[in-house]
Parts: sequence; structure tokens; C-alpha cells
Amino acid sequence: MKKPDDYLWDGSGPTDPQVRRLETALGILRSKRPVPDATAAVAPGRRVRLPWLAPALAAAALVVLLASGAFLARHRIGMALSGWRVEAIEGASRVGSEPLEQGASTRLAPGRPVQTADGARARLVAGWIGRVDVEPRTTLELLQAGSGSHRLALRRGTIHARISAPPRFFSVETPLAVAVDMGCAYSLHVDDEGAAVLTVTAGWVSLQWRGRESFVPTGARCRTWAGAGPGAPAFSDADPGFLESLDRFDDPSREPASGAADLGRVLEKARARDALTLWHLLARIDTVAATDRARVHDRLAGFVAPPAGVTREGVLAGDRRMLESWWEALGLGSADWWRRWRHSIPEPR
Amino acid sequence: MTESIAAAQDSSRCEDEASLVAAARDGDREAFGRLYARFSRMVHGILLARVPRHVADDLAQDAFLKAIVNLHALRDLGSFGPWLAAIARSQAQQYHRSARAEDPLVSETAAPGSALAEALEALAVIRALPEAYRETLVLRLLEGMTGPEIAERTGLTPGSVRVNLHRGMKLLREKLKGTRLEET
Repeated sequence: MKKPDDYLWDGSGPTDPQVRRLETALGILRSKRPVPDATAAVAPGRRVRLPWLAPALAAAALVVLLASGAFLARHRIGMALSGWRVEAIEGASRVGSEPLEQGASTRLAPGRPVQTADGARARLVAGWIGRVDVEPRTTLELLQAGSGSHRLALRRGTIHARISAPPRFFSVETPLAVAVDMGCAYSLHVDDEGAAVLTVTAGWVSLQWRGRESFVPTGARCRTWAGAGPGAPAFSDADPGFLESLDRFDDPSREPASGAADLGRVLEKARARDALTLWHLLARIDTVAATDRARVHDRLAGFVAPPAGVTREGVLAGDRRMLESWWEALGLGSADWWRRWRHSIPEPR
Repeated sequence: MTESIAAAQDSSRCEDEASLVAAARDGDREAFGRLYARFSRMVHGILLARVPRHVADDLAQDAFLKAIVNLHALRDLGSFGPWLAAIARSQAQQYHRSARAEDPLVSETAAPGSALAEALEALAVIRALPEAYRETLVLRLLEGMTGPEIAERTGLTPGSVRVNLHRGMKLLREKLKGTRLEET
């Protein structure tokens, strides 16, 4: 026998308008975080022993959180951990107040910033976690090195990371975003104003700041903006005009009147592969005007037809399920992409 | 649907879930992914009913990772869902005992009139409801789980879930009067 609240109970029966409205309104808050990379090849006979993972870092700082396909590998993490060391690869660096001559290395402890001068390069290494190559004119500091959390702060400059640590064991704090790494290699540059550019060379990175999130795949880059966090990611091989116009459109300090023209050039120069960027613009229901999102929708639909069940009205209203369904249709990898990532991280150049 | 068919389906589902849990415990990546797909909405919803949105995602990941690390301690593999739900609630309690608990529940802003502003407003009203209703309503209205799914995944009885939904929605309608989300 049907009951009056059947729609609330299981979605059957006549639609309850207020319940439906609340579903649509609240659905945009649903998490679209991908599966944490939590398994690896099993070595028989050993038990998993992992420290408790540190909770999320403060939203005021942007943090690059790194993960790898080796998470939950069945080896004893404590035995493999040997602490951080820094080596001066080229030229002289400074560790704290002391110089580090080319070819020399030393243990790195929290509170001793590493600074590379013009023309100097350094490398930070920590056992099973991975390594971080440091470019000239870069300042970074080890903030924390414990069994559950290892964190660097990149104050300015450029690093190239190749990480094999479990999710969120290792993180890099920058002034303006959280990047959650699902197993990757990437480059990260922070300028003097704290804005960052992330370029992913293997795997994926999820860049996050105060509820805004960008998913950055191999071959793509993403900028961060003061007061707005991560912009829309874009493949580095996109048309230069596309990339320039995207940066202007994404820049929160731009003149509002120029937005329409910038977006027009983005849409004009977009290729099918740039659906990655268009999807992110479409998902920015809180910062991209409805009329602009409608234009993005129509362009994206021209490249990748919305799957069954995805309506123009629903997407423009911010229906999360529809946006997620369309993401799956882009062919970039579904929410369980990490299950199919089998390739090893390529050696840095 | 007869009781025997329903019981058989429940049994089949429990066995399937127990098999997934056993496989994940042995390091099966595919099995872990399927468990995550099955329970991520539940975990996220339980947390979102209790903690600020900007930490809910991270705490949800922590809950799953804590579960996978401690799977060897779970004796009844068919109770993975309720066990995971308890871990998520415990995560929220730990968060509130920490220094970060001073973060307001709703710390983000949104453009007035935007879809996000409307969503945050609705979530704020739900969070002000009694706890029993709050979690169930978040799972139903925000995470899109049906009542039967909520019962199955959290271990609550269908009767309890239905009562919570009914009473919670009744309270919610009263609280939403005079707002943009008022019943028309």
C-alpha cells in the first residue's frame, strides 16, 4: 500500500515538490573526491602497518598532498623510512644558516629552510617517500617529518616531485591551494606573490581550496589565484590563444566586462581534448555567471554529447549527479580511474 | 516481492559484501574500489551532517583509510557498513575535540542568489535539527541515498530510518517556512 511519504522514502510515488527541490539544491554539495589510492601489490605473509593519517590542513594554506600507487603496500613503513636528506646537486645551497657545498649532503630537520641560489640545484630525498628536485632561486622548508605526516612548505621557486608515498603521507604547502596527489610526478612553481602553477607529468592531482576543486591529469597544468584558489585546468598542448584567454577569464581581478570576450575566445579555440577545461568551467556554479555557463555547456555538448539522463537545465542548475555523469563521459577516467593506472612513474628529465 | 525472495537477495548482498571486504583485507584493489563506491556517500553524508564542509572530504578519506588499515579487526565482515559508519562518527567527534573545532560549521560564502548559497542555506537548516534526523536527511536529500539504502548501509532498521525521515522532514518543512526553499 502506497504511503504519502513514499517519495521521501524511496523516490517512488508522486514527486514531493519540496523534497525534489531540496535534492536538487543540496546535490551540488556531494563530494566528488576520487577513490583514495589504497591498495598495491600484496607481499604475502606481512601485515599492513600504517600510521594514522593526519587530518586535513588548514584551508587558509594551499597544500599539495601527494599519494602514490604504492599505498598499503605490505611492507613495514617504519623500517623503510630513513628520514630526509638534502644534497647540493649543482652550485651551493644553504640549509638554515649554513652553506651546503656542491656534492655535499646533510640530514634535513624541520625549521631549517633550504635555499638555492642562482644556478644552484638541490635534491631532497626520503627513503620510500620519494624525491623532490629543487630548482635555482627556490626556498622551501621541511615543516613536519613524522610517522604519519611529512610536509614541506614551498615559499617561492620551483620543485619537481616524484613521489611514491601513500596518500597524504607527504604534502607541500603553498600560499594558495591544496593539491591532492593520487600518485604522480609533477612540477610546482610559486611566484613572489604566492600564486602557483602546477604541471602534472604523470598521474593525477586534485587541487583544492575552500571547497573548490580542480582535477589535473597528465599533460595538463593548473594555475592558482589569490582569493579564488585553483583555476580551470588545461592541457599544456592547447592552442596558445585558448590558454591565454582562459587565464584572463579565470583571473578574479580581471575587468568583469572583458569576461564575455575572453570566454568567447576560449570557446572558439577549444578542441575536443579541451573538454577537461570546459567541464571545470561548467562546474563553477558559484563563480561563473549563468549565461557564461550556458555558452560553455553548448560548446562542451558539441564535443561530448551529454549522456542519457543529463539535461541542459539540470546541468545549468548545478545538478551534481548530472555533472558527474558527464565527467564520466569525457573519457578522462571515471571516479575509479586509479584502478586502471598501471604505469610506473617516468624518470624526471 | 515475497519474503523469501527478499531474504535471499539480502543474503546474497551480504555475502557479496563480505566477500568484497575479505578481498579488500587481502589487498585487492578492485574490491576496495567497489567498497568505496558503495559506501562513500554514506561516509561523506555522516560527516557533512556534523563537521564543516571543507573538512568533510578529508575526514571521509581518513575514515576509509582507517577502515582499510583496521579491517583485520572486523570480525563480522557483513557488518562493514555499520562499522564504517561508526568510524565516520568517531572522526567527527575527534574533530570537535581538536583545536580546529572552533571553525564554524558553515565557513564558506557564496554569491547571493547562487545555487551554492541556496545549498548552504538548506544544509545549515538541516544541521540545526536533532542529530537523529540530521544524518538521515543529509544521506537522503544531499547524498541521494534512498531510505532502504540508508538502512542497509548504516545498519539502522528500515523502520527507524523511515521514522527519522518522516519526522525530520516535517521539522525541516517548518524551519524552511519563509525561506526560498519553502514549500510552494
